[in-house]
Amino acid sequence: MDLSSLPVAWANYLSIFGFLVLGVLVWLIPNTVIFTEAPDQSRWRDMRLWASVLIAMQLVLYTLFD
Amino acid sequence: MHPLDFAIVAGYLILITFVGVRLSGRVKNAKDFFLAGKSLAWWVIGLSIIGTNIGANSYVGAAGNAFNIGIAQANFEWIGAIPAMIIAALVFIPLYWKAGVYSIPEYLGLRYNPAVRVTAAVITSVVTVFAIGVALWAIALTLQTYLDWPIWVGIVVTGTVVGAYSIAGGLAAVAFTDTLQVCIMFIGGLVIVGLGISETGGFTGFAETLTRDNPNHLQAYLPADHESFPWPGVLLGLGLVLSPAYWCAGQAILQRTLGAKTQWDASAGMMFAAFGKMFIPLLVVFPGLLALVMKAQIEYPDMALPWVIKNVLPPGISGLMFIAIIAALQSTIDSGVNSTSLMITRDIRHVLIKNPKPENDLKIGRYLTLILLLLAMCTAPLVANMGGIFTFIQTILSLFQGPMLALLLLGAFTTRATPQAGLWTLISGVVISSMMLWAGMNMLYVAFYSFIYSLAALWILSFITPAHPESDLSKLTYSPWRRA
Repeated sequence: MDLSSLPVAWANYLSIFGFLVLGVLVWLIPNTVIFTEAPDQSRWRDMRLWASVLIAMQLVLYTLFD
Repeated sequence: MHPLDFAIVAGYLILITFVGVRLSGRVKNAKDFFLAGKSLAWWVIGLSIIGTNIGANSYVGAAGNAFNIGIAQANFEWIGAIPAMIIAALVFIPLYWKAGVYSIPEYLGLRYNPAVRVTAAVITSVVTVFAIGVALWAIALTLQTYLDWPIWVGIVVTGTVVGAYSIAGGLAAVAFTDTLQVCIMFIGGLVIVGLGISETGGFTGFAETLTRDNPNHLQAYLPADHESFPWPGVLLGLGLVLSPAYWCAGQAILQRTLGAKTQWDASAGMMFAAFGKMFIPLLVVFPGLLALVMKAQIEYPDMALPWVIKNVLPPGISGLMFIAIIAALQSTIDSGVNSTSLMITRDIRHVLIKNPKPENDLKIGRYLTLILLLLAMCTAPLVANMGGIFTFIQTILSLFQGPMLALLLLGAFTTRATPQAGLWTLISGVVISSMMLWAGMNMLYVAFYSFIYSLAALWILSFITPAHPESDLSKLTYSPWRRA
């Protein structure tokens, strides 16, 4: 498929789709990787949550600047 | 220069030098110099990553590009950074920690062979010296615009200040001065946003004026036939290749994560940097748009930010913002010289010299830092006639990011990639990238096609060349689901 034939709005759709896929993939990473050498396993140290917040903010931006 | 501005600039220089000299007492060996003695906390790492990243290619250059193309420039901070930073934090940083390496070329050397290590280190070092030269040029340009200093004076003064704390304090001094510099950058940037918005009639007035004269300047992507940043090129070249290569394999960026207290601090530092990155367009894109809305009469786009500082900000704040730019560029230079001296000291010298005497690493690293700074000072004037600063850096990166990323991905996620296939793919990939660029192809497509070529070449060549035994690769491949 020739991407350049698609309207420019598709760039936003593809970006949003990519972020959603990444948002799912980060939750497949096991706790053992996330909390390696962490001082404790408190909720705020779970970087999958950090990643999810980042992704949500990106979704807002790419929806806004359409 | 207003006396208040002068006092702020002088105070900044004294503070930076003081911090650098204070931290020099902690440097006892090469590990202290190159990896800050593995002592960095996540928030220092995060701020230092932002400081390293926002340099010539993001501050002055990005404001210039935003003046031309609008909010689409923010893609370099959003889709061109955030996903790759998340992947770096959760996948590659844990992998490098498991491998126990000082540098990314060292990881590639363990995964493939010493020839790949040296080749990757040489390529990265050469590009970094150019990037430092570009940063020096950008500082000199800012100093000339703001203070009427001759270009060569700006280059020499900057090189001397950065050299003083980088040579004395190593990565710890670099990281802590970066942290300070980023705080100054954010304060200065937010003041510009506030004053700019109020001078142009509030946010609505600003957006209306901007889009009335430039209807596409608030669209995230530009049409597919755009000369510099076509949207398919941005998604494929920037999003899939340049950005992951920069954030997952960039030595200057990742070095401070290897100097973290713990693996968690390393990963959290990168994730914290991603949060900061989200707001960087306010600092680097907004001034370009503001200059446009205020109808700045400037000779070329890279002067948009210096113009805003000179014409929008009052005395005192103007000095603060001025040092914010200098700080941003300095942090690129200090990180570049520190990481390059590491690569030459360990990744090149340790491999090519028979008896490298690791106890000499600290002394050699310091000498190299000085030599690299002098080299960059010589290359700085060369970039004057090479077009926009940002585009120049991205063009150089597009030559080797595709092959490097292919080696990293297949090396990290499979046991299939072989040492000889890695070396030949890296060399041939850079040659092919150069040919495509020479033929006039857009740099974003060069990055994407060279990446596809390198993936295919590495995969195919690995069929006919001998592989490492799988047992040797357990610490060098990413397999978090495998049972110990």
